[in-house]
Amino acid sequence: MSEKAILFDSSKCTACKGCQIACKCWNGLPSPTGLNENVFSGTLQNPPDVNGDTRLIITFNEMEAEEGMSNKSIAWAFGRRSCQHCSDAPCAQVCPGGALVKDEATGFVSVDDSKCIGCQYCSSACPFDVPHYYGAQSKVNKCTGCIDRVENGMAPACVSTCQPGALQFGDRDEMIAIAHKRVEFLKAHGYEKATVYGENEMGGLHVIQVLKYGVEAHGQVEDPKVSPMVGLQQIMKPITAVGTGATVLGLGAMFALAAGYRHKNLAYNEKTGDTIDVDTGEVVKHGDAQDELTVVEHLTENLPKKKGGSHE
Amino acid sequence: MSSAVKVSAADEALDREFLEERKASETGRYIKRHSKQARWTHGITIVCCILLCFSGLFVFVPALGQAIGADTVFVIRMAHRVLGVLFVAVPLISAIMAPKGVVHIFKNLFAKWDSDDKKWMILFFPYLFMARFIHMPDQSEVKSGQRFADGMLWLFGGLMGITGIALLLDTTVLDFGATVYGVMLFLHDLGFLGIAVFGLAHIFLGGGIFQPYRGMHRAMFGDGLVSESDALYHWGHWARAELEDGKNVVEKRK
Repeated sequence: MSEKAILFDSSKCTACKGCQIACKCWNGLPSPTGLNENVFSGTLQNPPDVNGDTRLIITFNEMEAEEGMSNKSIAWAFGRRSCQHCSDAPCAQVCPGGALVKDEATGFVSVDDSKCIGCQYCSSACPFDVPHYYGAQSKVNKCTGCIDRVENGMAPACVSTCQPGALQFGDRDEMIAIAHKRVEFLKAHGYEKATVYGENEMGGLHVIQVLKYGVEAHGQVEDPKVSPMVGLQQIMKPITAVGTGATVLGLGAMFALAAGYRHKNLAYNEKTGDTIDVDTGEVVKHGDAQDELTVVEHLTENLPKKKGGSHE
Repeated sequence: MSSAVKVSAADEALDREFLEERKASETGRYIKRHSKQARWTHGITIVCCILLCFSGLFVFVPALGQAIGADTVFVIRMAHRVLGVLFVAVPLISAIMAPKGVVHIFKNLFAKWDSDDKKWMILFFPYLFMARFIHMPDQSEVKSGQRFADGMLWLFGGLMGITGIALLLDTTVLDFGATVYGVMLFLHDLGFLGIAVFGLAHIFLGGGIFQPYRGMHRAMFGDGLVSESDALYHWGHWARAELEDGKNVVEKRK
């Protein structure tokens, strides 16, 4: 199977939210249905952001209409907020439970929430702030690209329901070609900021977008980057393994080399100020002055060849 | 201390008399080193620390977590949080209960290094591999190397505590943002490396696994006393001062 991608053309989207419903239906995600359970949040986005039960939302960005852009005083830049399925998916890199896995065949980042340990590392690694959590154990939830459908020859649920044809699904190269063609068309019709998003970001996304009013207007992240912390965290694992292993080896060697050794049985006679070896009766130190030997003398004084050397 | 020092005949006689008295006595001299509160605080903290290291490993090493399954890791993670709170709270409560003890600890930790301290530190690494051949310079109440290692444990322990609490708050009641979370996580991992290295060394020496340090565990896990001989070997200057002073010296059956 070749790499796949979902194409979102914002210039065709009517924000009907049919894709959101299709996503919920196919994936069995609940919605609050009680009386007044959906509190108005001041935005037409509903819910206001992706959450543990909502993998996809259509975003509403209200803009001042530019001259010649529209005959109305405002213009809407609709956006599609969901997992972008990065090629360099940092969420999959940091996931310790193996719950997030990049499917090499399609390029989609799939989710197995039964493996999620709720650490929320993925959330901190994602430059799009996509992974969200549900339930008491904080299990991860995010778009899977409907990989179960794709593997069976179907398009993702959101794509299959899009009436205006704003969503398409197919081989990634093909989607990119369609997107470029559409951007050319939009530019020719006065939408100078129209651009293709997802072709190169994060090593190439598997959601390609035609953004009619530019990246920012549609709520996308300009030049997303993996946090350097993700790389540092990954480096810490081998460093800790090597550091701890070397310490254990070193301590093992020290233990072996000192095995059987017991230091002298010492006593202190306050009357004379002498520290005495109880077993031999020898005075090993008189008084409490600072040591006068050099470091080299310390190192060599008791070596076998110099055994019995004086220490006065 | 390696070889004999010549003393006057009078002193020699007094020393002989002293040794005979000690030999005849059924008791030995011990010096009080750690209070009961210090021993309990240390005990609870290190049990927490060891359990925190092991529970943290199930998230830090993906293969371990995946081997036991997500639900078990979840339980371990929750236990990690409870232990983490104890790890931070117990020393803090203890410090509030005994502020003079805290001052004493940090005074020792930052005490000026004398010539013996510097020499001891230089000799320490070779000594670890050649303990039977190298005699070390006398030390004060806390050895120079001990000051360094204890300082590292305080530093990394503090780092673990602060970043652990930040991570706990960030995933429960507050939201510091992804960048702060990432930085805290990295520092927590860095703290773990430090704790692993210095903690293992601390257990090796303080637990008396290293042969010349045999019996050292009794200072923290026993009655808090150190025998005269051990005290003279490890902290010569301190031991002599304590034996001269006599306030913290107890005689007990050998």
